[in-house]
Amino acid sequence: MMSKIAAPSTLGFEWVLGNVQLGVLVLDTALQVRFANPWLLRRARLPANQVVGRELYEVFPGLRGSHFASRLQHCLNTGFPVLLSESLNPAELPLYATTGPATPEKRLKQSIQIMPMPAEVAQAAGERLVLIQVSDVTPAVARERLLKQQAERMHAMAHLDALTDIGNRRHFDLMYAREWRQALRARRPLSLVLFDVDHFKSYNDHYGHVQGDACLKAVAGVIESLAIRPLDVVCRYGGEEIAMLLPETDLYGALQQAQLALDRVRERALEHAGCERGVLTLSAGVACELPEPGQAADTLLLMADRALYQAKRQGRDRVCTLQLADILQA
Amino acid sequence: MKLSELEHDALVEVFNLGVGQAASALSQLAGEPVLLTVPKVELLSKQAVLDQFSSDPGARISAVRQTFEGELCTEALLMFPAAQSLRLVQIMVGENLPLEDLGEMEQEALAEIGNILLNSVLASVSDQLELALEGSLPEVELGVVSDVLLTEHDHSRPFLSLQVRFEIASRRIEGYLVFVLDVCSAALLERKLAALIKRLQCE
Repeated sequence: MMSKIAAPSTLGFEWVLGNVQLGVLVLDTALQVRFANPWLLRRARLPANQVVGRELYEVFPGLRGSHFASRLQHCLNTGFPVLLSESLNPAELPLYATTGPATPEKRLKQSIQIMPMPAEVAQAAGERLVLIQVSDVTPAVARERLLKQQAERMHAMAHLDALTDIGNRRHFDLMYAREWRQALRARRPLSLVLFDVDHFKSYNDHYGHVQGDACLKAVAGVIESLAIRPLDVVCRYGGEEIAMLLPETDLYGALQQAQLALDRVRERALEHAGCERGVLTLSAGVACELPEPGQAADTLLLMADRALYQAKRQGRDRVCTLQLADILQA
Repeated sequence: MKLSELEHDALVEVFNLGVGQAASALSQLAGEPVLLTVPKVELLSKQAVLDQFSSDPGARISAVRQTFEGELCTEALLMFPAAQSLRLVQIMVGENLPLEDLGEMEQEALAEIGNILLNSVLASVSDQLELALEGSLPEVELGVVSDVLLTEHDHSRPFLSLQVRFEIASRRIEGYLVFVLDVCSAALLERKLAALIKRLQCE
């Protein structure tokens, strides 16, 4: 037979509450603070006599009119417990780490639970109390933020071209598929410009690969500086090919952007001894489509690619787009 | 037990009053208007709830559970398809969530959203149907829909199921609120509902 073991004495319970590692605040229905445990007092940096026996909003004036106040009122009205999460609420109570400055940005991140005393207990106890528990979730918040930052960084890295710092082919493929769908849904035109550095092979042969890399970087920088609208995407498509995806842009607009990029690169006057002009130039193929349901998604890509081929064949350093005749001929 | 048209309308009214209260609290939190509506209320078997939720029995959901006791005993579950719960928290918290699952802090945010909604709905039920109730704190459960919907329950036990629609900044998210009722509670609910309808008709 088990012997009956008595519950701790009142003093024993006081000792337990005094050592609980979370904040405990007990109110009555008039919102007078009836009890505050040492964990809470130390972090509020207040002595017990400035807290216990006083009204909650006198002790913490910042709580007046807060979401905390309206949820506490809801709890008193309905008798249902209330949870205040850290993510949806600013640090409500002015609690700080036990050391260091008590500045607003140093407030502890808090998860708060408000529990009313059940009616039956209240009847037996002769009064109704409300229990407020405060957990310090500062470490969990920091951990989660770190995790998210790392996920964001990894995501960015997986979509970036290491040499030129613009989007890579993986990023282009994703953006292309997304923007094609978007254009189809919104019945808006989608334009694509494919750029290629003229005589890049001879540039590399003449100046070496290190200089070749620097040249690609410079060209990518020029093209990316033209993609100023939030939806414009510039990616390294292949070796010395760079793609510029222009959502909600008609053919005229895309041709202008392409010509501007060619002009800017020519103005940079990057020396290129291997071609007639003596400076580095680009060729560009431009295409624009108003996607139709059932149309193959790679249509735009094929048209831009063929236009680029035409620009090369017609003597490079120029922008080309396919005319209807070219399309019908093919 | 099957809901008559009068009972159905009275319940929709009670629940809409509840979600209306929740909407104003959620709007305050989100900093933009949150609209909540209850388009549908049904008494369903567990199997029917499962079918309604998803054609895929292995579909993952996020749920907020609270127990309410008193004159009536019920487990209240607010359930969302996992992706919808992520979107809801993302909209409410107002930041991008690059993670594929709800993190610890986001689960807590979902618990708070559920707590606001469940408390308001149950407060309305308690007021309108004159039932004294007490509640527990919310708990978040992530998992497969059939696991979350308490396997030990007898399949024939009725579930009171409501569809809840959240509209925040022109984005729409749909969840289901399910009350697991025991036989006594179902019968009591029916009696209280009849009393409410009578009161409304006398007015």
